[in-house]
Amino acid sequence: MEKVICVKDLKREYHKKSGLFKKNKNIVKAVDGISFDVYEGEIFGLLGQNGAGKTTTIKMLTTLLAPTSGQCQVLGYKTFGEEKNIRSKINFIFGGEMGVYRRLSARDNLRYFSNLYLIPANLQKERIDNILELVDLKDRADDLVETYSKGMIQRLQIARGLINDPEILFMDEPTVGLDPVGARMLRDIIRKLKAQGKTVLLTTHNLSEVEELCDRVVIINKGKVIYGGTPEEIKGDSLSLEDAYVKLIEEVSE
Amino acid sequence: MIFRVIFSTMIVQMKQSFARPMFRFCLLANPMLNTILLYEMYKNSGEENFMAYVVLGAGLMGLWGCICFSSAGDINRERYSGTLSLIFVAPTSFPIIILGKIIGNTLMSLLTLGISLATAKILFGIDLVLESPGYFLIALLASVITFIVISSVIACLLTLSRKTELYMNCIEIPMSLICGFVFPVSVLAPQVRIISYILSPTYAVELMRMAVWGVIDTTLFWEKMSILILLTIIYTLISVFLYKKIDRRVRIAATLEVA
Ligand SMILES: Nc1ncnc2c1ncn2[C@@H]1O[C@H](COP(=O)(O)OP(=O)(O)OP(=O)(O)O)[C@@H](O)[C@H]1O
Ligand SMILES: [Mg+2]
Repeated sequence: MEKVICVKDLKREYHKKSGLFKKNKNIVKAVDGISFDVYEGEIFGLLGQNGAGKTTTIKMLTTLLAPTSGQCQVLGYKTFGEEKNIRSKINFIFGGEMGVYRRLSARDNLRYFSNLYLIPANLQKERIDNILELVDLKDRADDLVETYSKGMIQRLQIARGLINDPEILFMDEPTVGLDPVGARMLRDIIRKLKAQGKTVLLTTHNLSEVEELCDRVVIINKGKVIYGGTPEEIKGDSLSLEDAYVKLIEEVSE
Repeated sequence: MIFRVIFSTMIVQMKQSFARPMFRFCLLANPMLNTILLYEMYKNSGEENFMAYVVLGAGLMGLWGCICFSSAGDINRERYSGTLSLIFVAPTSFPIIILGKIIGNTLMSLLTLGISLATAKILFGIDLVLESPGYFLIALLASVITFIVISSVIACLLTLSRKTELYMNCIEIPMSLICGFVFPVSVLAPQVRIISYILSPTYAVELMRMAVWGVIDTTLFWEKMSILILLTIIYTLISVFLYKKIDRRVRIAATLEVA
């Protein structure tokens, strides 16, 4: 199987200036030398505590953020410098109520993003209808997004992430705010993508979701990989994945 | 394809901007109030042609205000709503999207000229006096283009910084004054006038005002127009250069988002 994501000794620092007059520069090592590979068709989980560096990693992979050092390749291209070869083939979904135009309808949002993703006009209508159906927003598609509930906005986010039929989909806590039915819908979508041979990289704090979906995971802690393997391997003899995860985190925090 | 991106961005931008009360205020109320204010100021000044300073002045101030607070402020709004990063990583090049936004805003903002004209007509019975309509259209077109280019330079700089609102407030009024939107720049101190004459709107305004009065000296008109075009080209080059720079810069400095 083909390697579609290749991360080697990847680092990212943030420089934060604090203090009003005496500028203190402190450096936050958000990602501190992580390595992992993801293969085509995999559902890959990125786990870790709040502030572990998951979102930062996803941002570097999605060409949003420049790495400080190390290797960060998607589909064989560098995410910083060769991003033009990557952007049309990937997409990402961030959890929460961000990333949509609230003063437009869902349909207008999707239409706009399909223009930005250079999707031919003759394909757009059908694709948008299908996606709206898929995320169960069809009835409200022409209402302004500002009248939507949190979960509906999240569904729209998911729809937007699918607009260019991406080969790799990055998801940062995509089930945040979804009701149980919505969360299951998303899991079904993810499985459907896998069945189509697509790759999904996701972060989540919901470990039962990880057990249900992920082929492989890495656990990051304070910017470093502390474990990598299949959910079963991580679980080992523990009663649940959660027990095993907590134990791992506690071990490294000692 | 690129055309469709620009056009759809324009439409989205117009819908979004118009839905904002602050933008509607800038677009509709601001030119009305400015017209009233300027009329009262110019009423007893001996200046008979109210078109030149009152209508045009109020309209331009409104236009410039809209440009400041939307073309530029939008970058920040998109940053806070999380869409800035989305449009940044879309396969379409980022400057094209920004250009679409700016064109949308600028075209819509042209309404301010109509509103100040209507206000002047309805409240004070000032007639539209336009001696050289042809020249006026040429001057207007050139002005629109130069405003679009200036906005794109500003928008670009603001992509790099998060203190957008502050900077916008700082340049809105001074720009109107230095470029002589409401009075001739000849009343300014010579040191300030140097700045006026490196800013292209100064020429844009002078050209429009010439057309209002009637272009008698056509050589002078085209001379000023050449300078305007030259400055606009220089700004365009600056803007292209800046966009090349920021593309890498924003990803190193992580300023696309607020988190
Ligand atoms: N723009 C930024 N400027 C400065 N520091 C940042 C910035 N973004 C993130 N950080 C810091 O980098 C570290 C990693 O953050 P990141 O968002 O990647 O964590 P995360 O694993 O996604 O956490 P969560 O589970 O809470 O989403 C944190 O210490 C955070 O404070
Ligand atoms: Mg995160």
